[in-house]
Amino acid sequence: MKAVILAAGEGQRLEPLTNRRPKPMVPIANQPLLEYVIEAVSDAGIDEIVLVVGYKRERIQTYFGDGHRWGVDIEYATQGKQLGTGHAVLQAEPAVGDDFLVLNGDRIITAGLVERLVENHAETDGTLMAVTPADDPSEYGVVTLDGDGVSGITEKPRAAAVPSDIVNAGVYAFDQSVFEYIRAIDPGSDGERALTAAIEAMIGDRPVRAVRYRGLWVDVSYLWDVTAVTAQVLDAMDDPVQNGTVEAGAHVADNVRIGSGTRVGSNATIRRGTALGNNVTVGANAVLSNVVAFDDATIHDGAVLRDCVVAENATVGPNSTSPGGPADVIVDGTYFEDVDLGAVVGDNASVGAGVVLDEGTVIGDGARVGDGVTVSGRVPPDAEVRGG
Amino acid sequence: MCGIIGYVGDTSPISVVATGLKNLEYRGYDSAGVALNDGAIEVYKQQGEIDDLQLPESTDAKLGIGHTRWSTHGEPTDENAHPHTDCEGRIAVVHNGIIENYDSLQDELSDHEFTSETDTEVIPHLLEEVYVGDDLVGAVQAVLDRLEGSYAFAVTAVGHDGMVAARMDSPLVVGHGEDGNFLASDVTAFLEHTREVSYVEDGDVVSASADGITVYGDEGVVDRAVRTVDWEAEAAEKGGYDHYMLKEIHEQPRSLRQTLSGRVDAVGGDVDLELDMPEQYLQSVEEVQVVACGTSYHAGLYAQQLIEELADVRVSVKVASEYEFTGGRDPWRTLVVAVTQSGETADTLSAMREAARAGARTMAVTNTVGSTAAREADDAIYIRAGPEIGVAATKTFAAQVTTLSLLSVYLGRERGMLAADDASELLENARGLPGAIQQILDVEDEIREVAEEYVDGEAFFFVGRKLGCPVALEGALKLKEISYAHAEGFAAGELKHGTLALVTPNTPVLAVLTEGANPKATLNNVKEVESRGAPVIGISSYEGAEKFLDATFDVPELGRLEPLLANVYLQLFAYHVAKIMGRSIDKPRNLAKSVTVE
Repeated sequence: MKAVILAAGEGQRLEPLTNRRPKPMVPIANQPLLEYVIEAVSDAGIDEIVLVVGYKRERIQTYFGDGHRWGVDIEYATQGKQLGTGHAVLQAEPAVGDDFLVLNGDRIITAGLVERLVENHAETDGTLMAVTPADDPSEYGVVTLDGDGVSGITEKPRAAAVPSDIVNAGVYAFDQSVFEYIRAIDPGSDGERALTAAIEAMIGDRPVRAVRYRGLWVDVSYLWDVTAVTAQVLDAMDDPVQNGTVEAGAHVADNVRIGSGTRVGSNATIRRGTALGNNVTVGANAVLSNVVAFDDATIHDGAVLRDCVVAENATVGPNSTSPGGPADVIVDGTYFEDVDLGAVVGDNASVGAGVVLDEGTVIGDGARVGDGVTVSGRVPPDAEVRGG
Repeated sequence: MCGIIGYVGDTSPISVVATGLKNLEYRGYDSAGVALNDGAIEVYKQQGEIDDLQLPESTDAKLGIGHTRWSTHGEPTDENAHPHTDCEGRIAVVHNGIIENYDSLQDELSDHEFTSETDTEVIPHLLEEVYVGDDLVGAVQAVLDRLEGSYAFAVTAVGHDGMVAARMDSPLVVGHGEDGNFLASDVTAFLEHTREVSYVEDGDVVSASADGITVYGDEGVVDRAVRTVDWEAEAAEKGGYDHYMLKEIHEQPRSLRQTLSGRVDAVGGDVDLELDMPEQYLQSVEEVQVVACGTSYHAGLYAQQLIEELADVRVSVKVASEYEFTGGRDPWRTLVVAVTQSGETADTLSAMREAARAGARTMAVTNTVGSTAAREADDAIYIRAGPEIGVAATKTFAAQVTTLSLLSVYLGRERGMLAADDASELLENARGLPGAIQQILDVEDEIREVAEEYVDGEAFFFVGRKLGCPVALEGALKLKEISYAHAEGFAAGELKHGTLALVTPNTPVLAVLTEGANPKATLNNVKEVESRGAPVIGISSYEGAEKFLDATFDVPELGRLEPLLANVYLQLFAYHVAKIMGRSIDKPRNLAKSVTVE
């Protein structure tokens, strides 16, 4: 049985991190989200994967290649336009056999979930949907159950109207009939076909069974999830890998992951929940707590950062600080209160010396912040911020 | 230039040999063939690509040898395809290299019936004269004395259970597998089956059976160390890309992180290249000679300027096929650096040997661990780019230049000519390469649009100064190789001394206008060609240049390494022009990946 993994989406709520990579390539503890999915699938004994790619697909292809490193065989199907998850699954039609799994490429799951689906599928045919309890069900497709059968899916209901806390985990087993249901969806004005719409249509005709799952299931929806989930994953890791070079006098906590070619300067302090990618530079005396630095990032001498993301090839100048702490952040017009976000510095952006990044600051990719400025709120990509 | 593979073992040799050939396709692809031995020899061969080769569905044979060809002697035809056999069809041979005395050998074998125009065919006929019983090893040993030239060949014969191979000046490796044993021109041929390999030396004769491998030297059995290769077999897959070339262009950030990993101390201004070269020797060196071909030669030109500047020593760069250790230099004070991706480039090897004969110390800068260049040179540095399959070199150029820039710092520091601070600056820049290249890859769509606009140009001229000059040469070479468009690279100041006569509104000019490439002066040359109506595409970090350019690509700040970034734009430009023109990008006509003939 092959696994189809949907990895063509953009993930706009994670802007600016998704301006240059698709959401499945956002790294959590030095591994792209998609890698957790591929590892779960591979550990569950499935060795043939169809990756549906689209937005910035080169990033995915370059990282995963033919899947050899993960002991799987990966073939690629391209979704030219983002026309919904159902449309994405259609792109995999020529590549799959009678039965197959479908998984979202941007949720962290365990092999146990995939195994349960495979076992259940062996016992009974037809459509299976993994469901899991969620803290914030209104963010997902809330599932109503009738015994083991799925009787309805409500996409992102208003908080007041949430029928249960059981949500669609985004992992399914299908047979070929799903393609007909997807094709039968009326795409509507935006031309999109959602996979859940096909499942809803299916519910009347044939059984759709739920597979209950209570293990690790993590979505990374917002920028502050990148730091929080990284800390969570690092805490769960048994002795994370620390490559690179740590200079004399630097202190690195145990639950910190460090990539290869990375250098931590003398007397720097790297606290819990921090992940430094490959070829990262951390200067002398820097203090980092729960900081996620992507590959090629540079954090200069004396910088003090908490709950921050420093994206690929971004630079934070000497003695710049982002003290972190609860922040109020607006994403896509929605106001979020008291989230733990210091600052996000987008890809290739540079922050000068002695800059203060207020809590919740988001610097767009390619933006430049001059020396000595205090910044808050959102700085658009490629903008230039100078001191007055 | 060709590729050979042989397999003997428990499973059917058909798919092992066929996929092995596919993995060797970069060595040549104008004809292919396979011989199977199941007590009788069956040969399947034809002109054309490996995918078109007709092979049987199944076989009882436990042994097969295969060949993919890039013609040197005799056109690509069915007859000239390997394997070649003796008169009776009892002995089959696949061969990479050139038998230089094949003419005279053919005369001596006048009672034999030759069916091809190849040099190779003399080998099975010579073997036919001496092969008796099952002593194929003895027969091969007897024949070697009569062969002049270069070869790696593999033989299978009726009456002998295993296969026998020999090597002289052409690459040959053996693989020790669980379900059988392998012979090939390159480890990529069998990497999916085993990573345990031994490299065969010149003059060795190898006997491989299902049970084991025995290597015979001049005086009986010799021991050739078994090493584990850590390359990913991913090598052979395009991973979702249309072409290996594009895949390899996109791999540059990752492969450069490998190139740099563990070698750079940017704070202390030091590099660790794991070289064991006495400081006194390095201080006494009066000249560094770089020998290389093609793209590697351009990397050498880039290195020339860096080494002269940072290590304060004279550097000359020689096209390897033109190299001679000529007068006026002291071999004891000359360091000869051979730059070759494969480590098997025949021209470069012969230049390196000439230098060694003259008494100079030699160093190989190569991508291939255990290659001939790495083994023969006094010192070797690996560029760690990972396997490159596309014929047009891309990531290996970036890795060569990066490695050579580290070498320039090493030489400067060891010779006491480079301050730690100045070293730090270049090393910081080197560490900035992966991120800066990714930044360029992210705007690939813009380059594709410009390629679409200018694809119909009658000719393309690439200009640059200083470090921009080798990049202009390399940009033109890439475009020529894969698009077949007429392209030339120049020192920008040379335009007005002749080539300007060719410039018209239909000849786009691509200019390197970055740090390290004297952009101010080059901008004057841009104005020269613009006044003749030529459109100009600028790869630029020079402020104010845009208004003189028809299209501008921004280069991130990276000091002396900015021209190397500019090259990434030129790679993508060449790729997209060739793609729009519908060219065979990974396998351009008449070219092969590593050229093991002189």
